[in-house]
This record gives sequence, C-alpha cells and structure tokens, in this order.
Amino acid sequence: MCASVKYSIRGPALIPRMKTKHRAYYITLFSIVLLGLIATGMFQFWPHSIESSGDWSVEKRSVRDVPVVRLPADSPVPERGDLSCRMHTCFDVYRCGFNPRNKIKVYIYPLKKYVGEAGVPVSSTISREYNELLTAISDSDYYTDDITRACLFVPSIDLLNQNSLRVRETAQALAQLSRWDRGTNHLLFNMLPGGPPDYNTALDVPRDRALLAGGGFSTWTYRQGYDVSIPVYSPLSAEVDLPEKGPGPRRYFLLSSQVALHPEYREDLAALQARHGEAVLVLDKCSNLSEGVPAARRRCHKQQAFDYPQVLQEATFCMVLRGARLGQAVLSDVLRAGCVPVIIADSYVLPFSEVLDWKRASVVVPEEKMLDVYSILQSIPWRQIEEMQRQARWFWEAYFQSIEAIALATLQIISDRVYPYAAISYEDWNDPPAVKWGSVSNPLFLPLIPPQSQGFTAIVLTYDRVESLFRVITEVSKVPSLSKLLVVWNNQNKNPPEDSLWPKIRVPLKVVRTAENKLSNRFFPYDEIETEAVLAIDDDIIMLTSDELQFGYEVWREFPDRLVGYPGRLHLWDHEMNKWKYESEWTNEVSMVLTGAAFYHKYFNYLYTYKMPGDIKNWVDAHMNCEDIAMNFLVANVTGKAVIKVTPRKKFKCPECTAIDGLSLDQTHMVERSECINKFASVFGTMPLKVVEHRADPVLYKDDFPEKLKSFPNIGSL
Amino acid sequence: MQSWRRKSLWLALSASWLLILLRVFPVLRLAEPARRQAGGPQGWPRWLDAELLQSFSQPGELLEYGPQPPQAPRGGSCYREACFDASRCRGGSLKVFVYSAVGPISETPRKVLTSIEGSRYHTASAAEACLLVLVLSPDTPAGECHPALPQWDGGKNHLVLSLHPTPCLRIFQLGQAMVAEASPTVDTFRPGFDVALPLLPEAHPLRGGALGQLQQHSPLPGVALIAVAEDRGGWRLAGTNFSACPWDGRCEQDHGPKQTHPQATLPNATFCLIPGRSPDALHFLQALQAGCIPVLLSPRWELPFSEVIDWTKAAVVADERLPLQVLAALQEMPLTRVLALRQQAQFLWDAYFSSIEKVIHTTLEIIQDRISGASAHPSLLWNSPPGALLALSTFSTSPSDFPFYHLQQGSRPLGRFSALIWVGAPGQPPLKLIQAVAGAQHCAQILVLWSSKKPPPPRWPETAVPLTVLDGHRKASDRFLPYSAIDTDAILSLDAHSSLSTSEVDFAFMVWQSFPERMVGFLTWSHFWDEAQGGWGYTGERANEFSMVLTSAAFYHRYYHTLFTHSLPKALRTLADESPPCVDVLMNFLVAAVTKLPPIKVPYGPWHQKARPPPLAPGGPRFRAEPQPASQDCLNQMAAGFGHMPLVSSRLRLDPVLFKDPVSVLRKKYRSLEKP
Repeated sequence: MCASVKYSIRGPALIPRMKTKHRAYYITLFSIVLLGLIATGMFQFWPHSIESSGDWSVEKRSVRDVPVVRLPADSPVPERGDLSCRMHTCFDVYRCGFNPRNKIKVYIYPLKKYVGEAGVPVSSTISREYNELLTAISDSDYYTDDITRACLFVPSIDLLNQNSLRVRETAQALAQLSRWDRGTNHLLFNMLPGGPPDYNTALDVPRDRALLAGGGFSTWTYRQGYDVSIPVYSPLSAEVDLPEKGPGPRRYFLLSSQVALHPEYREDLAALQARHGEAVLVLDKCSNLSEGVPAARRRCHKQQAFDYPQVLQEATFCMVLRGARLGQAVLSDVLRAGCVPVIIADSYVLPFSEVLDWKRASVVVPEEKMLDVYSILQSIPWRQIEEMQRQARWFWEAYFQSIEAIALATLQIISDRVYPYAAISYEDWNDPPAVKWGSVSNPLFLPLIPPQSQGFTAIVLTYDRVESLFRVITEVSKVPSLSKLLVVWNNQNKNPPEDSLWPKIRVPLKVVRTAENKLSNRFFPYDEIETEAVLAIDDDIIMLTSDELQFGYEVWREFPDRLVGYPGRLHLWDHEMNKWKYESEWTNEVSMVLTGAAFYHKYFNYLYTYKMPGDIKNWVDAHMNCEDIAMNFLVANVTGKAVIKVTPRKKFKCPECTAIDGLSLDQTHMVERSECINKFASVFGTMPLKVVEHRADPVLYKDDFPEKLKSFPNIGSL
Repeated sequence: MQSWRRKSLWLALSASWLLILLRVFPVLRLAEPARRQAGGPQGWPRWLDAELLQSFSQPGELLEYGPQPPQAPRGGSCYREACFDASRCRGGSLKVFVYSAVGPISETPRKVLTSIEGSRYHTASAAEACLLVLVLSPDTPAGECHPALPQWDGGKNHLVLSLHPTPCLRIFQLGQAMVAEASPTVDTFRPGFDVALPLLPEAHPLRGGALGQLQQHSPLPGVALIAVAEDRGGWRLAGTNFSACPWDGRCEQDHGPKQTHPQATLPNATFCLIPGRSPDALHFLQALQAGCIPVLLSPRWELPFSEVIDWTKAAVVADERLPLQVLAALQEMPLTRVLALRQQAQFLWDAYFSSIEKVIHTTLEIIQDRISGASAHPSLLWNSPPGALLALSTFSTSPSDFPFYHLQQGSRPLGRFSALIWVGAPGQPPLKLIQAVAGAQHCAQILVLWSSKKPPPPRWPETAVPLTVLDGHRKASDRFLPYSAIDTDAILSLDAHSSLSTSEVDFAFMVWQSFPERMVGFLTWSHFWDEAQGGWGYTGERANEFSMVLTSAAFYHRYYHTLFTHSLPKALRTLADESPPCVDVLMNFLVAAVTKLPPIKVPYGPWHQKARPPPLAPGGPRFRAEPQPASQDCLNQMAAGFGHMPLVSSRLRLDPVLFKDPVSVLRKKYRSLEKP
C-alpha cells in the first residue's frame, strides 16, 4: 500500500508538464490505474494468509465438542456377520451405478460421541490413526459429501482396536446409522480384533452385511472377495526414521525380534539358536531398561541391548510369528527394514493378499516346520533373496508406511471389484517402480503367424505427383497378397483426378481426402484398413519389385509385431558432440527402417495417432519431417524389439528427400534428422531403438540354385 | 472552479476505486476457501486437537501373546498346513500315486488316469507317494461311492479328482482330502486347498488338443462385439447398438441382428457374455478357445486354476446387476486392453486347457508349487507365454534365467556362449572345428562330449578359451543333458564332423542374441504332409522354406537341455535314442511347441558341403543334409506323442546387413561369409 501511495505522489513529477487543462485529469487517471494494478498485484501475493484465516474461522473444532448420542439399552443390535457374503449377494452395486471415472464414491458419517443409557461412552471417541484414516479418505478422489450419491459408507465410529470399545453398545451405535440397512455397503476398519482369552481373528462386533477391512483374518473368518485383509499399522513407522538399506547378505541370517511370544515358540527359537549359532539372533525384552528409552524401542539378547527397529536391518530374514493375534505390527517394521519376513502363522491371511503377491516378498513356513526354518531358508538362492528384500521394502513404501496408504489401498481394492473392467493390474500392484521402468510389455505378445490369405492394405500418401503415384499403384497392384489400396490425398487445394483416370487394378482402390496437409495423416487408423498388415509406401517408390514386396509381407507375417521395411538407417552416438547422430551410409548395422516402404501392424497406427508421447506428433507435423523416425521410436519403445530390414540395399532415389538431391541439401537433411532423434530420445526419456546386424532374405537368396525354382527370384536387382 | 472540478473528479474516481476494492476484497477473501469448500467443510474436519488424540493401541498392546497354544483348525475347515502333510514329499518333490480303476470306466476318467501316469510326478508305489489321487467317475452309481482304500487315513494327503460333476462328491466322506472339481461353487471351495478345474466338454482330447482359433492379434473389422451364451449351449450374436442389456429379462429386449449358432460352433465375437450359473462354465472354455474375451456375469463358480492364473488379464468379471454399465464399459474399452485380453485368453487356452493332459498336469503343478514354497513358479511364469508347464521352476525361479521373459524383465541373455561338441563313434578329435570355434569373439568355453568307444586323446590343442572333456554315454539324447559345466545362456551345439568358420559362428551368435528363445542354425530340414503316404514326411533338400534346423550346428538356450531331459515323455526320448536323426526332430518339435515359431536360419558357406565326406551309413556321424528313409517314421511318432504337429515353417534367412551387396568388401563386418 505504501508503495502505491508513493507512486501516485511521484507520478506527476515524472511526466513532463503539459499545458493543457486536461493534465490533472490524465494524471489522476494514470495514478488510479496504477493503484489498481498494485492492489491487484498484492492480492496475488496474499492468498495464502487469506486462505488460512478463512480456514481457521470455518473449520477448526475440537473433538470434545462433537454431539453426544444416547443409545437406549434396547436399541437394535445387528446380526452377526454373514460368512456366506459375496459381492454379488451382500453388496448393493446399484448405489455405485453410473460413474464415468470408474471410482467408487465414499461417504463418511459425521463424528458423534455415543454413550450408553447410563451415560458411559461406548468407546473412546476417535483415535489418532482413525482420524488420519478418515482424513485420508476425505482428501482422496473417492470422497463424496453427498450421502445420496455414495456407494460405500464409512462410519466414524472407531473400531480399530476391539479392546477399547464395548462390543454390544458399539453394534447398537452402528445399527442406528442413517443408512445402515443391515450394514449393506458399509466398510468397517479394524486392526486389532478379538480379545482375551480366545482372541477371535475377526472383529467381534456384530456387523451383519458390512464389509470388514481387518488386520488379523484367518482363512475361516475371511470372506474371500468380500472382506479386505489389511496390515496392522505400526506406530513406529511415523516415529522412527529408518533410511533404506540396499539388498544383500547381512550380519545375521535369521532374526526374531518379537517379545511377547508363546513359551512353545520360545523353546523352538532357543533350539534354533543353539543349532545354528551366530547366524540366528533371538531377541527378547530387556530386563533393565536404560532411562528415557521406551520399551518398544529396545530389544535384548542376554546382556546385549539392541535398538529396535534398527536391528532389523542387520538381518536377512526376520521371523513374524503368531502372537495373541495373527496380524502383527512387527510385519510392517520388518518390511520397512528390507528384511524378508518369514511368516509362521498358520491360516493367516496376509495383508492385501487379494492383490499383493506375497511369494515375491516373504517366505511362509508352516508352524509345525518351525524347527526346519533355517534349512528351508538356506535353500533359497541369493538372487531371489535380494529380489525379496527389495520387494519387501517396496511393499512397505507403497502399502504399509502410513495410515493413508492403507486406507487408499483398501478403497482401491473395493473399487476394482465394483468396476472390474477398469481394475489396475497385477503389475501395477506388485512391480516396484524400477521394474516398471525397465520392463516392456509387448502389446502383440501372443506368438502367432497371421494367415497369408488376409493380405495387406497399401497406403500411399500423396500430394500432387499424380504420374508417379499412378506408377506406384500399378506396380503395387501386381503383388499377389495386396488386398486393398488406400490413397491418402493430402492436398487440400487440388482435387484428386477423376475416377476414370485412375489405373484399373484388381483390388479395391479408395481415396481418402484429408482436412489438412499433415504427415501424420499417413499413420491414421482409417476404418478402410481391414487387414492387420499395412504397407506404407511413398508415391515415388517405384523401384521395388513385386517379388520384393510379396517377400516383405511374408517376413512381416513371421514378425507381426515389428516394423519390416526396405531402406534401413542407423542412429549413432556422436562422442564429440555428445548427442545422437543419424546415419544413412552403407553400414553393417540397422536400427530403423524408413516408412517410405514398410510393413507394420495396423495397431501401431492407433498408437501413433492416439498414444504418441509428449508433443512428438505435433512437432512432426509442424516440421514436416521425421514421421518415420517417430514411428520407429514408438514401435521399438512399445515392443522392445528391433526392426527387420528386408532384402539388399537398393539405389533408392533419396527416398527421404522431397526435392532434388544435392550435397548441401543432403547435409541439412542429415542435420534435421539427427535433431529429430535427439528430440525424440529426450521425449521418450530413453533411447528405445535397438541395433541389429542382420537383415531378412529369402532362404535361397544368392544360393547356387536354379533361379526358376526360387520362390522370390526377382530380388536385389538394382 | 476548474480546480474544484478537478478535485471532485479525482475524489469521485478514487472513491469509486475504493468502493470497488472493498467489494472485491471480501470476494477474494472467500474465493480461496470456497474452492476447498466443495470437498472441505462438509468433509472430514481438521480437528483442533488432532495432535492430542490417543493412538489406537497402547505400546504394550501390540506385543500381547495369547495364553493358549496355537489354534487348531475347527471342524470341517481344512487349510494346507493342517490337512496336507508336505513333509511326506521327500526332497520337496511331489510323488503322485493314483488308485487304479475298479471295473470298467468311461473314457474321460481313463484319460485322466493316463495323464497322471504320464506325468513326471507319477510313482507306482503308494508308500513312496505323498499325494494319492482318487479319480471319480461321473457314471459311478451313488451306492458305490465308497471304495475301500487301504491308504485313505481320513483323506490326509489325498486328492479327489473329478472332471465332471458326479453325485459321489456330495455323498463321499471327503474328510481331509483335497477336492479337484470342475467349476466348484464359490461357497464350498476352499482357496489354497482345493483346486478348481475347468468344466470340460464330453470329448476333450487327451493330448495336444485343438489349437486356439485366434489367427490374428486384433479383432477383424466388422466382427460382432458381443456373443451371448445361450441356455441350450449355443451362442447368440448381439448387435453393437442395443439400448438395453442383451441377457435376461431385466431390461428391454433389443438384440439387433439376431443369430443363434448351434452348440458345436465357437462364437465369433470380441466379447462373450457368460451367465453366472454353474452349467454355463462350459461356455467359458469355448470362449477361450475362440479367442473371445469371456465376460463373466457374477459367476457363482470358482474360475479354473484361480490359485495361479490371474484371470483379470484374460477375462472380465462383471456384475450382472449393472447391465448398461457393463455394456458401456465393453464398448468403450481401449483397444490396447482388448488386444491384451484377447491374446491372454488364447494363450491360457493353449497352455492349460486344450487337452486333458494339460489340465491334469496343471493340477499337479499347482500342488507341487504349494510344496515348493519359495521355489514355486513366480506369477509371471504362470501368466505369460509359454506358461508354467513349459517353464520349469526346477531350472530357476528367476524369470531372467529363462529365454522367454527378457522383455518383461528388462534383461538380456548373457553375452557369451559355450560350444558343446559331440564326438561320436570314429573318435577323431575335431581339431579344425575347435580352432574355428575358439576364435569366435564371444566363445566362453568349449565342452567336448566324448561318446566314442576309443578313449579321448590325452592332449588337446592349446585354445584361447578353456576346453573340457565330458564323458558321454553314447546315447544320442545324452547331448541334451543339462550339464552343470554349461554356465552360459547360449549353447552352440556341434558334431565332430561339423564344419564352420569363425565368422559364421560370430554372426549366428549375434542373431541368437536377438532371438534367445529360438534355435538359430545353419542347415535345415523341412517337413511336409505326404498325401501318398497319409503321413508327415521331411526332407533335407534345399527348398524355399524350412521348419527344422540341425542340432549338429545350432545355437539355442541352455534351458532347452533341462526341458528336453525333464519334461519330455520317456517314450519319445527312447525313440530318439534308437534312431539318431530323431534327436534333431525331437529337439525341433520341443522348441517349436514352446515358442510356436519357426527356427532361424543363417547363411552357411557352400564350400563346407563340398569339403565334407560323403554321408555314412546310419549310426555314423549325423552330419548330413538328407535324413535316412528309415527315420521318416519318427516324425509321425513324434507328432502322435505331442498330439499335434508343432513345427512351423519359415521362408526367410537372416543375413548380415551388407551380405553380397555391391559395396567394397572392406566395409563389411562379416566379409568371409562371402568367400567365393
């Protein structure tokens, strides 16, 4: 504000004195405009403080102030959980009906404090973790505040720990929720089920049809495909900083860090340690704790004390034994330390086992084989162990490390059941980012050789070279397997020749007129293309013989997922310039084929038009060059395979050039093409092209064999 | 006057600005929170005292232990550890005993028995076995469901198997036995313990089986989008633009062009809608075979082999209660996903379902995987070609050790090879060949497999790479044993009489690195259907196409040695031993059955052929282009053993990029391949 005032005072002094009577008027106008600009500018810089103050006045309340609900003693109790529930019997999908984004909508009931008739609360209002969980759902894409549009309902009644609630009264509180309806489409979260003495493996609160996301399911309380098995959150995840430790052998081979174990297990552990000595470390509670260190953070072996969870990083394998409950928070700590969990808890349903492949991150050993655990683990090759260590850490990072991660994974699983056609895949759930980056999933992975009878569609991109075009059409039409010819007329100013003028050929000929003169029109997935195989051919490629084209098609049939073309090119790393270089000389290697004459699968047209990364497509159209290099990049990137160059080199009349070839033109051409390679490599983030040293020829090419007995005699003549 | 006017103008203007500012300010103030309000205030509140909330568990609580000993399974519920004693499988390998049938049995159970007996897990002794299989027949009268089995023991370590619904399964006291049943209902199926089998048609072939019908990757244009399974067993094509669901009476019937097909024909559509009742499971396999993506509407039955097969990659399980949404989703499904589902459905058919033998072997493989624990097949091996029956987990559990998964793993085969030279009867050390191979750029070692009666010479020539002599047993199939000395991914298999130049070896290895799952060879044979004989024949004549490469000079992955030795039926290997050229045929059959692709031929100098001695009598060196007439029959016997003809023909040869091009020889990397 100060600044603006200052400016308005100084304003007039800066302006040369005008003797017109309107001077003051202009000055005023100017200063007002200036003031306005400055004021607007200041608002731009201030929104944060404005927002927070607004936030403060609207939202913040105390948990203590939530409304109190008194439950009459005779209010209804839901039935016990129905073990036969499945999604198609107990879940009401109609509530999830129309949803373009294929994501379920989740509603959270407002927080209330429930008290029994005597005024005794049924449970602690809400725990820190459950508050975090509901916050995470509320901040996610799943959340809706409209109860009528919700597909899934999450009560705000905190059920995470069964020990901190009264079972019957909590059930009554659930039953009086406004949309309870026998618990249909209600999701309950519980991490510590059961209670002494028998510790049930699922929440004891009667819940009728409600789905349970539970932390300690056994195979006979878990309703496959209905309930969700979730981890028991370890509070140490947030408290302790434990940097990642790379995979590899560690000081101890096997470690047990749990303190409260059944005496039978203790005996077995002691026996294991006695038998294998140093390699096995069994920890227990510390008898004399040093001050200031919480018991949960210390473990002892005889007199030696260890920091927990840091000690887990010293072991290759870490035991996760059944305690009072099947689900153990130690599993989370173990995964985090990159220690491979050895799960000894018969019938335990591992967290998110519906989607996570635990074989890749853990070893499950039957309880009765506990004494053999050492030899079982010894038989696993080191390469696999290292893979498991990496996988364990990745599972923790993705699905265990925070309450938010647990909540979102749970909702994703339920959402994928409701919208299975949009579900995320095994690889999405299980592959760590490093693997996802390095791996290629070929879209045409099924090994098959398409039937010859289908033939191919030739696509000729043309502008106005009608004479040359007609020659190409005549030549190509001689190829036996040609089934259709498509001319893409890329000239908007000129009409294609009349029907009567076109060469008469034995296959259908279609002319497609384009709206704009763009190179990408060559790669559009036209409906007219009825074959899988496409031959892209320029309107001046008249030097290819019918035998050569037919052979090219035969080669494509054997490699339907590759670009199969005639002129080959190479990319090279220029060590002086530190960038990629385009090479068209006679080399021993090939990494690209020109699409001036190439066979490929029609699917790549779809990819080029709709899935080309970054701005490559527009870039190509703007520069009117390099559409073929872009196609080579695209196919190599998606299939991970090299091109196939067919038949010997020919004198192509500079197939890449559009005008007369001269030395200087040729050089600028090469520079432009090199630029394309560098540009595409940066957009793809990698160099997908693969270099090979082979090309495909007919079996008897140049063999000492009667020419007339060869299938493709007319190949390689210049 | 003027100054007053000026002042008043100024005042008015600034006043209006102030007004505007004041009005705008509150709006701006609210603008930001308002955007949050959409999901904000009605969302979960940010509690003032959120930091003060208690944790859900007290520190000690997470560490409690139960006072009672580990729980025992409750009545009726079996899970793997409790009801299956894996320790009876010594060395972690499955041994299967099958109770032979009492009295006459129908065809399908007989095929099942044959398949189990042909499995590499089969044992004839019940005492040695750790899995005892009882095959139920659908036509057993309900009264005779209780065979007296001496080893029954409450059903422990037993598998009760039935390919067709049988009343016995309902009556039989199963006890602790596992059940392998066709399309079990979801309610009775015990995941991880029972095995869900596919519901097979009546006359399902024993071996090989009908190939999948998919001939191309993408759906043909103009093919119907959806076929609906009919009650009577046929299929009905539904048009693409219906305004209502094409199944059940819940919505208006508007089928568009309506065609009903008889039971025998397979659906020709992109998606196949299959209702959820158990008998409809029969349609499921038809859809897989046709390469039609199965869309299962709330199936009440467990999908076959769901323990290991990731059905989300091959089928869509949809809720029958949301017809419009399912249809919209199918219509709008991205092409990329349609392609993936289609190919996966077809792959699964070929890998696990096309014959009874495959179904039974898959069942046993699943149980073996349960026993193996950490060394079971990873999910990738089950769910990508060629499938877990052909990717043995005894070879490795790391996918990048196999030749099939380098793309998915982002890995590549090791860049070196081992030359394995088989020295037969005459017992002449192939000195020239050794020198030629040892000079190759990527040769890691030379292994000489000495199979001659003569003792090997004590001294071998000095070579640039290590040379080891292995003692062979003079059986032709010995050359394909998985020798532990082979530590490279690639093997160059050679005969003592092979003749190769260093340059040829170098180039062939470069090619092999691009195709590690195939055989890359120099000399070829081709097979053909002999109308006159009514059988298969093959020839070594030079021709425009080929389907086999001779293993007397070929590169291939060392995994094929393991597969050859451990997965082929013993009968076929014996056959190969009796007639040596059959070994070549058998190896080519095996690789073709795995890859479904032809081998690769690389150039081979014509001068080798001239230099070679004339072919000797049978039993002599096998390096000849022309197979012996006596061995013609082995092709037919192999084809019968495989259940079909797996060989695929190729019409191309891979040459160096500048091969015989009119360019200076100095530019060429493999110039000696063109020696006149």
